[in-house]
Amino acid sequence: MTGRINKTVALLIGAYLLVFLQSHWQGPRGWLGFQPDLTPALMVCAGLALGAGQVGSVAMLTGLWLDSLSANPLGLSVLPLFIVGWAVFSFRGLILRNELVAQFYLGTAAGALVPLLQVWLLQLVGANPLLGWEMGAWCLVNALLCGVAVPVFDRLAKRLDRWLSHPVHDPNRWPNANRQIVRGKN
Amino acid sequence: MKQFFYKSQQTAVGAVLLTVFLLLVMPESVRARLKSAIGGLFLPAIGISTTGQAALESLGQLGTTEPDSYPANQALGQAADRSPSVADLRMENAQLREEINQLREAEQWGQSIPWKSKLVRVVGRDPFNWWRRIKINMGANKELRLNQPVISVRGELVGRISEVGPLTSWVLLVGDPNCRFSALLKESRSQGGIVSPRQYSANPRMVELTYLPNDVEVRPGQAVVTSGLGGGFPKEIPVGQVVDSWISKDGLYTEARVRLYANLNQLETVRVLTHF
Repeated sequence: MTGRINKTVALLIGAYLLVFLQSHWQGPRGWLGFQPDLTPALMVCAGLALGAGQVGSVAMLTGLWLDSLSANPLGLSVLPLFIVGWAVFSFRGLILRNELVAQFYLGTAAGALVPLLQVWLLQLVGANPLLGWEMGAWCLVNALLCGVAVPVFDRLAKRLDRWLSHPVHDPNRWPNANRQIVRGKN
Repeated sequence: MKQFFYKSQQTAVGAVLLTVFLLLVMPESVRARLKSAIGGLFLPAIGISTTGQAALESLGQLGTTEPDSYPANQALGQAADRSPSVADLRMENAQLREEINQLREAEQWGQSIPWKSKLVRVVGRDPFNWWRRIKINMGANKELRLNQPVISVRGELVGRISEVGPLTSWVLLVGDPNCRFSALLKESRSQGGIVSPRQYSANPRMVELTYLPNDVEVRPGQAVVTSGLGGGFPKEIPVGQVVDSWISKDGLYTEARVRLYANLNQLETVRVLTHF
């Protein structure tokens, strides 16, 4: 339970920093010509590692933080992020979640799906965002970046979890291999 | 345990859907206040980042002034390998000259305009690419108000204030779908309207000038300025230059692509016109 709380706290801090960087650090805009949105990758990590309540909380807070710094109606990003996190959470038993390739594909799919859902919801609420074919290219590059970001975030979260949690107690593990009496025929 | 698991799943889905529903049905004014409050959570991070940046800059200055403070070392030839070459000095000199010229120009422009203005720093930008907005470091605390025009340091049109918070404000940039205004061709004085490009473009400096009369000759390179109509922006603020033009599909008016003077991707300091 403590491990899961640590993971939740780490992911929430990560989400806060990510949203802040996306809004206040203009480096990527200068290099790529657009601002990448890596929050879908974060939701994939949440879906892979956390419980239902935590996935909901991370989606809600990340979505609200994102919308509070943008012209999107407040709460619009919550649903797309939650759908992605929830889909990963629901099927994670069928996914080789520690495999790099699986994580890359999940991140790429999430990175492509979330902006599409956001644009669809924006048009549904009557907003008039700037769209075009160049946006498709941006969406593709962003999806690939999300694919790369998932393994990075996952390893970072695991490392943070290791630093913040107590090691798991294993009663069958000998503290010192030299003192272990190995019984055998020889 | 299994029952609890399913129950917690239902609770999570219910909570998210309820939150989204409540946010959508909330009155606009309450939603705006809530948005401002949630956005305020990033103020400590902005403060830390600004302070850190200032500290790094001052450290950088310390690093550059250090060799000058030890002239004896230079005399002894100990710092010979650190002394810059003539080519480096020439390049630095040229950069400094350019910077000084820009500042002089900005100051002259600041003195020449008949309006009162406030210099503000850009601290953030809309994280979504389909909106074009920047965040500035002044708000209601410095008496900024809604719809005040924003120009670059050199006097080119940047946008208008769209949201005013207690400490920060949002500026809607020219080219955002919600920033439309009346403009005219400086030579022929023909009026049209500046709108966002019909399709998203990675180049934020491209906008469209539409509803120009068909009998007007529109040539590439012609200057476009604000017309002052509608009262949103004062007259004669430089907007951009015509790139190309065409007759609209229905043949009723002429449209032109305009390249903005202000580089909207590299704004660091802007000027808010407080009285115009």
